[in-house]
Amino acid sequence: MIALRSELPLKKGDASGRFVVWLVMVLVFMASIAVTTNAYIGALLGHWSQSVTGTLTIQIPVMLDANDPASTAATEKVLDVLHRHPAVENAATVPREKVTELLKPWFGAGETIADLPLPVLIDVRMSASEASAIAAVSNAVQTAAPGAVIDDHRAWLNRVIGLAEGLGAIALTTMALVTGALGLTIVFATRASLAAFAQVIDVLHVVGAKDGYIAGQFARRALLQSLLGGFAGLAIYAPTLGFIAWLASRIEDGILPDVRFPVSLWLTLAVLPLAAGAIAMITANVTVRRALSAKV
Amino acid sequence: MALVRKKTDFVGDTVQLEAVGLRYADGPDIFSDVSFTIPQSSFHFLTGPSGAGKTSLLSLMYLAKRPTRGKLMLFGDDVTDAKRTRLPAIRRRLGVVFQDFRLLEHMTAFDNVALPLRIANVSETVVERNVSELLKWVGLEEQMQARPSVLSGGQQQRIAIARAVVHRPKLILADEPTGNVDDAIAVRLMQLFVELHKLGASVIIATHNEHLVARFPFPRLHLNEGKVTALPPMQASEIGVVAS
Ligand SMILES: Nc1ncnc2c1ncn2[C@@H]1O[C@H](COP(=O)(O)OP(=O)(O)OP(=O)(O)O)[C@@H](O)[C@H]1O
Ligand SMILES: [Mg+2]
Repeated sequence: MIALRSELPLKKGDASGRFVVWLVMVLVFMASIAVTTNAYIGALLGHWSQSVTGTLTIQIPVMLDANDPASTAATEKVLDVLHRHPAVENAATVPREKVTELLKPWFGAGETIADLPLPVLIDVRMSASEASAIAAVSNAVQTAAPGAVIDDHRAWLNRVIGLAEGLGAIALTTMALVTGALGLTIVFATRASLAAFAQVIDVLHVVGAKDGYIAGQFARRALLQSLLGGFAGLAIYAPTLGFIAWLASRIEDGILPDVRFPVSLWLTLAVLPLAAGAIAMITANVTVRRALSAKV
Repeated sequence: MALVRKKTDFVGDTVQLEAVGLRYADGPDIFSDVSFTIPQSSFHFLTGPSGAGKTSLLSLMYLAKRPTRGKLMLFGDDVTDAKRTRLPAIRRRLGVVFQDFRLLEHMTAFDNVALPLRIANVSETVVERNVSELLKWVGLEEQMQARPSVLSGGQQQRIAIARAVVHRPKLILADEPTGNVDDAIAVRLMQLFVELHKLGASVIIATHNEHLVARFPFPRLHLNEGKVTALPPMQASEIGVVAS
């Protein structure tokens, strides 16, 4: 239970107290950024991997057959094989207009693109996405049209996952640094006030106060300061997040998928100030007990 | 279990020093080989010239320092090397008046006096009653809500004494408790200590004031050049004669 009376003049506006509040505010702000980044990357990754797993893109190059420059026969053959394959749910050629659309940013909308000999793309949705099923489909397609290129997006996805993991590691490192900085701040602030109140503490000891009682008062102050700083950090983070979301909303559709943050992100953000408070409280308690245990 | 004596039932000597020595850091011995016994419900003056080590000797007894050598017993308990966690319980049976008062500046006179009771989790109604009564007794009824810094030296000293006795300690250690008050108040404060002594507390009062010592028929422990000598109550005729 938290006693409301305080025998130590810890509330008296000392500069170190305000410094702790400020620092915790900044730290929780940084931690919020790390947590959000991590959640965003996770969501993005989920979105991407979900949209590409169980799909294949088959590319039938032009002029596979000199008599059939548009590869119509090869395409028919491949589609036929795919439609009959048990692991395939459905398969369809990508309409030429859509391919043109995809290439527009690189070639412009002019005549060139219309004359370009474009490969035929077939989108395949698999009913089974295990490696063995993918290999079976690949083999069947290769047999039907040697030279067809089959892409299961694995390589691309793996690179994206690699990037996401790197960013996730940075977020974790940030959290670790922030936690360390919080701990050190509390240790030094607590030691400073222990020194400032040495005489009061001596008197408390003489009248029979236990170390735990004195430590508890410091811990309570560290808790309150960190909660205050922590919620202040969240308070300044909220508009920041809103601003970033607004910036993101101005980007054209398609480049960034529309990602919904999971509820767990909001919970984690709300818990950050509480976690800061808990860490500060425990750190202050241990710091005081350690310092006092060296006394008579 | 019947053989295990509860601490509160303690009968025996309040303080016992055996060949105790003390020095600060690398300094010389303040005293060495000091032995004496303070029986239960006794009253002693601790005399000796300035710098003799009276405050140092008291601070061993109120557990602010540990003896460099020898053995110290309080309430029948060997506290020479007692674990730190055992000390608060022992300290709560002591009442200490510091030579320099050591009142807490951020608290009112009332809260300063209430401190030992609150630390021991005594209920607020009892705190309210006992503290007010005691402050009235020492003549500070009007100053209960004042901060120590706005009070006179003598008033601060009375707060310091009230704080030392409010929790009815078994051993009272007072360091020059009447150094800042006039004779009339000094005698009244001494009466407070005598009352507590009659109620069963052991009292040790360190002082230079020979007139005060001569006024009360209590034995003396005289500290000089690192040695403690037990002396009988002082006679008025001894005033001004340096004890050796
Ligand atoms: N914290 C300390 N560190 C080093 N030396 C100290 C310390 N406190 C006291 N001394 C030394 O110990 C000796 C005894 O001091 P102490 O205060 O016990 O004397 P005292 O008898 O109480 O004197 P007074 O009557 O003036 O109060 C002195 O020589 C003093 O210099
Ligand atoms: Mg002294």
